[in-house]
Amino acid sequence: MKKRGRGIACMWYPIGFTVAANPSAAVVKVNEDGTATLLTGTVETGQGSLTVLGQIAAEELGIATEDVHVVSADTDTTPMDTGAIASRTTYVTGNAVRLAAANAKDVLFGIAAGMLGVNADQLEARDRKIQVKGYPARHLPIGTVAHQAQVVRGEPPLGSASWNPPTVPMDPETGQGKPFNTYVYATQIAEVDVDDETGEVEVLRVVAAHDCGTPINPMLVEGQVQGGVSMGLGFALQEEILFDGAGRQLNPNLTNYIMPTSLDMPEVEVDIVDSYDPTGPFGAKGVGEPTLVPTAAAILNAIHDAVGVRITSLPATSEKVLAAIKAKRAAAKALTKPA
Amino acid sequence: MADEPKLGEQQATRVSEPLEAPALRVPALPPASPYPIETRVPKVRQQTPAVGQRATRPDGRLHGLGQTKYIADLTLPGMLHAKIKRAGIASARIKRIDTSAAEAMPGVMAVLTGREIPVNSFGPSFQDQPVLADDRVYHAGDGVAAVAAVTEQIAVEALDKIVVDYEPLPAVLDPLEALREDAFKVHAPNSNVYATKVIKRGDVEQALAGAYRVFEGRFTTQMVEHVPLEPHASIAEWDANGRVTIHTSLGRITLGRADVARTLQLPINRIRIVATVVGGNFGGKNEITQEPVLALLSKKTGRPVKGVYTRTEEFIASTTRHPFVMDYKTGVSRDGRLLARKVRLVLDGGAYCSWSETTLGKACILSGGPYNIEHLQLEAYAVYTNKTMTGAMRGFGAPQVCFAYESHMDDIAHALGIDPLDIRLLNGFEEGSASPTGQVLQSVVLKRSLEKAAERFGWKENDS
Repeated sequence: MKKRGRGIACMWYPIGFTVAANPSAAVVKVNEDGTATLLTGTVETGQGSLTVLGQIAAEELGIATEDVHVVSADTDTTPMDTGAIASRTTYVTGNAVRLAAANAKDVLFGIAAGMLGVNADQLEARDRKIQVKGYPARHLPIGTVAHQAQVVRGEPPLGSASWNPPTVPMDPETGQGKPFNTYVYATQIAEVDVDDETGEVEVLRVVAAHDCGTPINPMLVEGQVQGGVSMGLGFALQEEILFDGAGRQLNPNLTNYIMPTSLDMPEVEVDIVDSYDPTGPFGAKGVGEPTLVPTAAAILNAIHDAVGVRITSLPATSEKVLAAIKAKRAAAKALTKPA
Repeated sequence: MADEPKLGEQQATRVSEPLEAPALRVPALPPASPYPIETRVPKVRQQTPAVGQRATRPDGRLHGLGQTKYIADLTLPGMLHAKIKRAGIASARIKRIDTSAAEAMPGVMAVLTGREIPVNSFGPSFQDQPVLADDRVYHAGDGVAAVAAVTEQIAVEALDKIVVDYEPLPAVLDPLEALREDAFKVHAPNSNVYATKVIKRGDVEQALAGAYRVFEGRFTTQMVEHVPLEPHASIAEWDANGRVTIHTSLGRITLGRADVARTLQLPINRIRIVATVVGGNFGGKNEITQEPVLALLSKKTGRPVKGVYTRTEEFIASTTRHPFVMDYKTGVSRDGRLLARKVRLVLDGGAYCSWSETTLGKACILSGGPYNIEHLQLEAYAVYTNKTMTGAMRGFGAPQVCFAYESHMDDIAHALGIDPLDIRLLNGFEEGSASPTGQVLQSVVLKRSLEKAAERFGWKENDS
């Protein structure tokens, strides 16, 4: 018989390296038509990070996502980056990109100030225009200013910058210190059906509420969460590298190493928790790794809620769950048996 | 010269004679699939402000059209294919490697062993991992020799012709066994415990002694693979100026360049690492694997050399997630407040350190959970075993400890008769809470995430 259960798990997770320096550098070049090119040494590994970095550069320059072309991942041409690791790209590389874009914007503001007859600190960049704060009627298209800067005045608008999260080393005896500059938080709730005749667990629904600071691109945040849930589901119920007694792997192939497919995926409902971190680019933190952190815990708590057994070793395979159910029944029987 | 038109002078348009249908046989080509003449830009990519927009990805279109070029899609003129022979034995001394039969095979252009690698070790924390095992084998997936051949098939066949004599050595496979003083030392004379982290706050023993109840539990997790769709893949090209260009699936090119420079003993400016769009990383592509091997095979042959891991190599020869053994002991008050927590984590580090130190540190810091606990003692140990090396994988130990602290939390809630949501809201971090390392936490929205998830799920409505 199928028994339904629900389980909750929450987590915290840091952004960036543990104490160690993990800098990023970036270069932003504004072209003479007001579009821009961003150079970054990070790598697109499928998560959409280059899109997010382009959006950050665009926001700082007051232009649209499409206006920024991102060039990445060539050690001959792109600046140093610690890379796609530790959920750090949006936060650390994003801060470097924002600063580099701000430096390029300063060149534009210097030119625009003369053209608009105001001081540079009175200007803001919005909607592909450079305009006077509080008096947007006085403005110039960003392309006009960029053309003036590069072609007429001979000052190509370029900016470069780097950023590294500030940390404090941990005491070797007590571990006290500030290993990270910021953390994110999340909760996932899983609903499962457990078949108490076979031990099979079906995950029906996962509700995931994640903090990522400001979501630079909510669609990509949702994509990360959905991917993380699938990885967490495999960790909870299916995936396991097995070894023989001599230390050789028994199942190094996708026939015998079982991982989730689309048919195993539950309904995933993603909520982005309102949050703003003043140390991140436009308040952003990160979301990559945390998305799978609470999934297994939530599923295992749901199994406990459904059939009353606590599986303490992952993965909770059908065999393991069924054995635990049988052991529980046997124990209950032993208790009720007259002495 | 007079026939030549002057600059700017209009040339008469030549009209070709109509040709008859050619009798040539042309090779069969797949039908052309023209793109729409206009490439439409989604409106959302044109909107300002850019931050907060659900902007589509420019690479998405290429993925959808099958136009993204992964390493496996790239071919350079004269390119050779490399394969690596795996040890297949977990712990051994290499007595002899005979590559003569492989080298004699038609189509085999070069063979490489570990002794030919200028600095045959690498690793982000400790350089304890050989590029190709030369003297010792530490786990069954170690590479022992590599072949470059004109086709992948010849390279595979040549691996079978390489003869390696091993002297089998004892092996230790269980992390708890590896912890013991008398255990076989994986990297003798060094201890099997190669990284330790301790975090202490308050007085745990006293607080546990005074607690209303004390809960204990042991939780264990398994070894898993990243399983990216795209396996590790690289093409190395050593040019006539002694510059090496490596196209690779690495997620960290700056570090990769430093590791390649170190293993090949080259100045950094003679190495160019170009990463393509990576078909999934999840932490498994954070360090070099076969890049120095391919570079040296290219140097030996004067040709570009490509290597693509098989799915089996992804499992046995790349990093994996650390199995954990986690012991939790928690003292609570009658109303469900966490007063004291003691944690011991043992990480099965496999044969090499890789990113174990990072995993150990993060896991230890996070192991207390996102809860205000005044008295803490968190200890973590990474130990060598003769198994596949464990390294960086999405979450760096956090999914393991979260499984433990959240299972433990539900056990406590259940025993005290408190709702699992309420006990988390009671103990959870808030703005300004102190972390286990004494850090004052900012932009803390843990409780908001609990409430939001519970509301969306209907936790209170469905209370059973």
